[in-house]
Amino acid sequence: MEQDAAAAGHATDLRVRLGPLTLANPVMVASGTFGYGEEYADFVDLTRLGAVVVKGISLEPRAGNPPPRIVETPSGMINAIGLENVGIDKFLEEKLPALQSRRVPVIVNILGNTADQYVELASRLDGIAGIAALELNISCPNVKEGGMAFGADPAMAGHLVEKVRRATRLPLITKLTPNVTSIAAVAKAVEAAGTDIVSCINTVSALAVDAFSRRPKLANLVGGLSGPAIKPIALRCVYETVQSVRCPVIGIGGIASAVDAMEFLLVGARAIQVGTANFVRPTATMEILEGIERVLRFLGLSRIEDYIGTLDAECRFPFAEEACRF
Amino acid sequence: MGKYQEEALILANEGVADTTWRLVLECPRIAAEARPGQFVMLQIREGTDPLLRRPFSFHRIHPERAVFEILYRVVGRGTWWLSQTRQGSRVSVVGPLGNAFRPPDRPGPVAVVGGGIGVAPLYELLHQLAKPSAFFGGAVDIHFFYGTRTAAEMLPESTFSELNLPVHRSTDDGTAGFCGTVVDLFRRVLEKDRWRPAVIYACGSLPMQFAVAQWALSRGTPAQLSLESLMACGLGACLGCALPAPDPKAPNADRYVHVCKDGPIFEAGSIRWNKMQPPPVTPPTFVCV
Ligand SMILES: Cc1cc2nc3c(=O)[nH]c(=O)nc-3n(C[C@H](O)[C@H](O)[C@H](O)COP(=O)(O)OP(=O)(O)OC[C@H]3O[C@@H](n4cnc5c(N)ncnc54)[C@H](O)[C@@H]3O)c2cc1C
Ligand SMILES: Cc1cc2nc3c(=O)[nH]c(=O)nc-3n(C[C@H](O)[C@H](O)[C@H](O)COP(=O)(O)O)c2cc1C
Ligand code: FES
Repeated sequence: MEQDAAAAGHATDLRVRLGPLTLANPVMVASGTFGYGEEYADFVDLTRLGAVVVKGISLEPRAGNPPPRIVETPSGMINAIGLENVGIDKFLEEKLPALQSRRVPVIVNILGNTADQYVELASRLDGIAGIAALELNISCPNVKEGGMAFGADPAMAGHLVEKVRRATRLPLITKLTPNVTSIAAVAKAVEAAGTDIVSCINTVSALAVDAFSRRPKLANLVGGLSGPAIKPIALRCVYETVQSVRCPVIGIGGIASAVDAMEFLLVGARAIQVGTANFVRPTATMEILEGIERVLRFLGLSRIEDYIGTLDAECRFPFAEEACRF
Repeated sequence: MGKYQEEALILANEGVADTTWRLVLECPRIAAEARPGQFVMLQIREGTDPLLRRPFSFHRIHPERAVFEILYRVVGRGTWWLSQTRQGSRVSVVGPLGNAFRPPDRPGPVAVVGGGIGVAPLYELLHQLAKPSAFFGGAVDIHFFYGTRTAAEMLPESTFSELNLPVHRSTDDGTAGFCGTVVDLFRRVLEKDRWRPAVIYACGSLPMQFAVAQWALSRGTPAQLSLESLMACGLGACLGCALPAPDPKAPNADRYVHVCKDGPIFEAGSIRWNKMQPPPVTPPTFVCV
């Protein structure tokens, strides 16, 4: 059947439009889970990814938090890396050229302690070849200043986006935190301030302790939960965000299979990012990409755009049980 | 050198000492490129709990048979599940990862110090040191120090007999060999026999490695230590496996190395031992009389 479709010229069209950004397919990798791309070059044909979102970059290099920095929890992990990164100079000198030569759209995730630092980062990255968009990380739970402080307050988030918007012509993605009462309120604020796209979610604030040693399991005490455990939270956040803004939404959180990815597209995400699943199966993105094509073909659709946001809001039993086939 | 994700066939999975198991995997591409000291990330079972892969060192490498072996201790849920895995089933393996033990920089006697399950990566190293191999070239005068908490945890004598080298044994409780830690034994033998290793290779608990590092640093002896950290990716992407390290340019600044990418083999001087958590001190488990 696969060959038939290709022979008849009916290859599945996976292109997605996200405002000013057009991607060859909706599968990206989430910031902080794919390094700067090279780390996965043995497992992933980078040119086949919709985009690579690199580890969050700050103006100065950051050492990150003391270890232990990660702990496993049921179907998830908590991390408190503390945004360790090489800083923008080294990123531009060493990391970006390697990615550019791989011919994959690069989205640079940026973070700062102050609004001015975000602005400076944005203006320095403006106009550099190979950079497809910026993703503002205003949602990291693991640093004291900046990070989630901006993302938790609609007004602060709006001011920040407004300033960064003026500093760059690149498409702007704002990455939201689930650690708020209303993610829709923050989404609306950043949309009004000029973000082109929102992505959600970043990790969920979490704690793990040891009953016997009576100590926390992370040196930083709290960290961010990711992986399959957070998928239902992420799906709800994406749904609420899609309902409240007009700009495109990128879904992130616990996506480990093609069916997971389809669920986010169904509720209206126009693209997805794969995070923790890369750690578990370095080939995860390739499997998800191929799986999405198979599901679409199974549903008789030739364009992914015909599937996005087609959730029928009325719940009916029984559910279809096709998931295990893909 | 590539890295691979392979579905390995389990040829054997058997207990070899108290809480210690040996896993034999048929895994052609990884076995072909593995070097002593490197490790793999093993997905224990299907599903999402446990979610993350677990790191294990190469215990033996048989490229000619497309096989490698892992020696593991059952310490938690993941390793318990692994011990329940049957011969004939498959596990997903990612590797070979990390750096390898390096040959000695200078000629002279070699000391290999293994504590508990730390013997795992040292066994392939011992083989390559003892036999004239392409990598190590056949070192002379190898002394192997091997300690466990108690005799039941010790690999049987026969395991090492084929190596044909002196094995100095210790147990914390005195049930086999010298009574005390393997580092106590190491110090004792070196003092008594008045020889100085040209290089030390070691793997074991953090306190043990700390003690070896102290000894090596105070005498200016090169030491290659195989260290551990909690890992998510094993590929240098998550930055989870950090250990504190001195920065030659800024002695007081915090800097981290990453066990999966910069290690797992580190020189004694490349780690900031006093910043390790938990602090490297252990109360003695047993008192020898
Ligand atoms: C590079 C490397 C090579 C290793 N090689 C071997 C080997 O050859 N044989 C072997 O038996 N073990 C080895 N380990 C340790 C092994 O990975 C852990 O014992 C294992 O992950 C524990 O999994 P679990 O699910 O059973 O334990 P969990 O249920 O996750 O934890 C149980 C206990 O084990 C401790 N633990 C968990 N992960 C590690 C870790 N990475 N290092 C040390 N302690 C840990 C936890 O702190 C806890 O106290 C290696 C570790 C690294 C980093
Ligand atoms: C180890 C680790 C590091 C991360 N680093 C960043 C980062 O630098 N910037 C960022 O915006 N998000 C970061 N994240 C969040 C992820 O991009 C993603 O939003 C989150 O993990 C949820 O997706 P998942 O469940 O698929 O992992 C990190 C997540 C993990 C697990
Ligand atoms: S385990 Fe992910 S960087 Fe080392």
